Amino acid sequence: MKIVKAVISVLFSLLLIYTLNNKFGDIPPLAKFLDPFSGFWANAENKVQASENNLIIEGLKEQVEIHFDDQMIPHIFAKNDHDLYFAQGYLTAKDRLWQMDFQTRFASGRLSEVVGPKAIELDRYQRRMGMSFGAENMIEIAMKDPETNVIMNAYAAGVNAYIHSLKPSQYPIEFKLLNYEPEDWKPINSALLLKLMSATLAGGSNEFYMNNILQKYGPEITKNLFPDYPFREDPIIPVGTKWDFDPINVPKMPSLNETTAALNINTKEKEEGIGSNNWAVSGKKTASGYPILANDPHLDLTLPSIWYQIQLASTDVNACGVSIPGSPGIVIGFNKDVAWGVTNVGADVLDWYNIKFKDSSKKEYWFNNKWLPVKKRIENIKISNGQTVTDTVFYTHHGPVVYTSEQRPDNFTKANNIPTGHALKWVAHMGSNDIRTFIALNKAKNYTDYRKALTYYNAPAQNFVFASFENDIAITPNGYFPLKWEGQGKFILDGTKPSHDWNGRIPAEHNPTVKNPTRNFVSSANQFPSDQSYPYYLNWEYSGYERSLRINKRLSVMTQANVDSLQNLQNDNYSILAENILSTLVELVDTKKLNASEREGFNIVSKWNKFFDANEIGASIFELWHKNLGIQIWQDDFGDPKTPMRYPSRDRNVQLLLNEPNAVWWDNVKTAKKETRGDLVNSSFKFAIDSLQRKFGPIDSDWAWANLKKTHVPHLAKVAGFGSKILYNGGSKTSVNATSESNGPSWRMIVALGKEVKAYGVFPGGESGNPGSHYYDDMIDTWSEGKLNELVYLKLKDEKSKRIISTWKLNKK
Amino acid sequence: MLVLIIAIISLILQFFLPWWIIAPIAFSLSFGMAKSGKQAFGSAFLAIFLLWVAMGLIQTLPNENILANRVGTMLSLPDSSFNWIIVLLLSGIIGGLASGFSGLSGFLFKEAVKKI
Repeated sequence: MKIVKAVISVLFSLLLIYTLNNKFGDIPPLAKFLDPFSGFWANAENKVQASENNLIIEGLKEQVEIHFDDQMIPHIFAKNDHDLYFAQGYLTAKDRLWQMDFQTRFASGRLSEVVGPKAIELDRYQRRMGMSFGAENMIEIAMKDPETNVIMNAYAAGVNAYIHSLKPSQYPIEFKLLNYEPEDWKPINSALLLKLMSATLAGGSNEFYMNNILQKYGPEITKNLFPDYPFREDPIIPVGTKWDFDPINVPKMPSLNETTAALNINTKEKEEGIGSNNWAVSGKKTASGYPILANDPHLDLTLPSIWYQIQLASTDVNACGVSIPGSPGIVIGFNKDVAWGVTNVGADVLDWYNIKFKDSSKKEYWFNNKWLPVKKRIENIKISNGQTVTDTVFYTHHGPVVYTSEQRPDNFTKANNIPTGHALKWVAHMGSNDIRTFIALNKAKNYTDYRKALTYYNAPAQNFVFASFENDIAITPNGYFPLKWEGQGKFILDGTKPSHDWNGRIPAEHNPTVKNPTRNFVSSANQFPSDQSYPYYLNWEYSGYERSLRINKRLSVMTQANVDSLQNLQNDNYSILAENILSTLVELVDTKKLNASEREGFNIVSKWNKFFDANEIGASIFELWHKNLGIQIWQDDFGDPKTPMRYPSRDRNVQLLLNEPNAVWWDNVKTAKKETRGDLVNSSFKFAIDSLQRKFGPIDSDWAWANLKKTHVPHLAKVAGFGSKILYNGGSKTSVNATSESNGPSWRMIVALGKEVKAYGVFPGGESGNPGSHYYDDMIDTWSEGKLNELVYLKLKDEKSKRIISTWKLNKK
Repeated sequence: MLVLIIAIISLILQFFLPWWIIAPIAFSLSFGMAKSGKQAFGSAFLAIFLLWVAMGLIQTLPNENILANRVGTMLSLPDSSFNWIIVLLLSGIIGGLASGFSGLSGFLFKEAVKKI
């Protein structure tokens, strides 16, 4: 009996320990995670940082000295480039190792290895989109450049030196939660992270919607509702700027009946809200007489933060700014001579080609009246439970056929977006040496260096803004732009015809650019790069012009500009959209038919100052009102779930509202009654008041815009508790301060050039990626309030600064 | 006495070895020293409960408990700046149970072996 009891007890204990040491579903290995020696408690960082640290690290050539400022931002001083990027890798890993690991896994379709079978479809999708294929092509080209080669390898070696120094108790907390170990870093991981940026910024497409619309409504209406140039625009290159090049021949558009048949498919629309602002003001407009540059890239915000702030100094460089965790160099920043920044260019660099396979074996496809061989790429997806899923991707000369009908999963949102049997042609699949652009900008001294640096850059295309101590300002929408016929890729292309292929690229030196324009400033906010005089086709639609117009209006009248006035502009919550349509909307409301609370709401919104400030009730009403109006106009015409289409742009809505009161689109075709513009404006207004009332009760300060918007910064893997609280702030998608729910300025920077360069910046998070660090989110309130921190920029290694709280010496072995 | 010895040996070995080392420690010490099943479970539980709570305090106090409070939210506790205390007690109890049952097994095993 006692033996039985003993055996039961021992077995139970073993089972208990096994259970507490392993992950089940999403439940972490409990005892392993809660163990105060090696579990999560070990990630609880002391608030006070040690003021000195001496480390011996294998792989360094000489000693590297690092000063940490009061936000634990590293200022690296190395004696050669190898050691500089080695140290950048080492320190970035110190703060962001899990983020780097997770994002590379996400990009390359390797999440199942750590989170299990639930990620298989996502992994397949990433692989089928050719993310790794693109990264491999990139690294092949990049590694041929001796300078890039040294940098990428040194960076990887630095990351690995850090990984190898870790005991399991020191692994970032997310490794403990998901119960896996960091693996060695490879240079291709850096390439994958840049490809991820391409996927975020230049990975959306509208072709399928557009094809369905063309099929249903014909070319005339399609052209009318989806024009190739907007009703209102204020392009990046000032209207009237002369092009100083002779354009090369543009291919002719094939006759329209060659375009492929409509497809019954669904797709992800290009996302609005992925945008950014940047500008540079010439010394002629500033109080100091030297240029000031500002940049705020808008992205889906996450913790750990998207950007890693850093200063990089060695013999031939001393730059400061933000880097992508996992990629060497500084992407947005400055040195003592120049400053630069980027915003996204919404050029069409992703197209779909209808593919005709010879038979179901898919060994050959029809192109240019010949059968061409299909290349197969086998993807092996490992899963945390030890199994492997094998997937075959068919590659044509266009690119991968993302899903054939057999390969298409049933219940996977991202896959719904892909046209069955179509090949993806995407600039992100090409080899390139983009990292070299940033390395060169970090070292740039003047305008010539800036122009040279841009030549290395392919994707994702960016508006590179520039300012120099020599009082030059410039902006260049830059990247690999395919040479297309007008409108090529607005609809799905025919993969059997050479006339539909991309025809090489627009020569890099023909990319739109402007230097020192007469208006004495340059700016961009994701709008059209130029007016219609540009001799090449880039795309038919860009982000709305509202932010651009506001920026340009304010900059035009600005004199004696300084950091404060530009900071004020970055935080500008004014809505040009409201300026354009609010008075018309208000006039159309039939006030006699309003009930008491509608009347109160009407009074508030009529008097609203058009600023999306945190406490504005009018902003809440306006936002719901115009959004619902858009839905009411288009849902009956473009909302058929069987033939998915997209709605016309915001710009087109404005035009319809202001100039086309009798358009057929105002009528809801699903009702017998003939609705008018006034009917829709009134019912959408009532809808807005009603939904706010249901959400917040009777009208009071609860209706404030910030409470409706609910800005917050979630954790990268959406771990509850690791994200930010709900912030109370202003901003909107159509304001310069484009802060929305969890998308917005991922970094705000202002650089005042001069004899002593001064820079300011902030991002919504902190330098550390550890939720157990006081530096995880220490900048978030500063960011939310629209304030900036002065950036520490040390000219020399031994320069004293009161803001340096810790100094590390990394010694060679 | 048994409490103290389990706690001290666990403290030393846990610096080098994974958390589950507490199980063989509790098992073997209870095998050698425990007088009853109750005492074996109780001592082993209390030893690790106290050790883990103490060690947790050493980690979390200089951190001003920000991480433990975040983990509290992660574990679906209602928002509060005292969640860290609950997480700390939970850690102690989980470690204590693993140790307690190992201790009990050690004692029962001894009883079973003695009979033979």
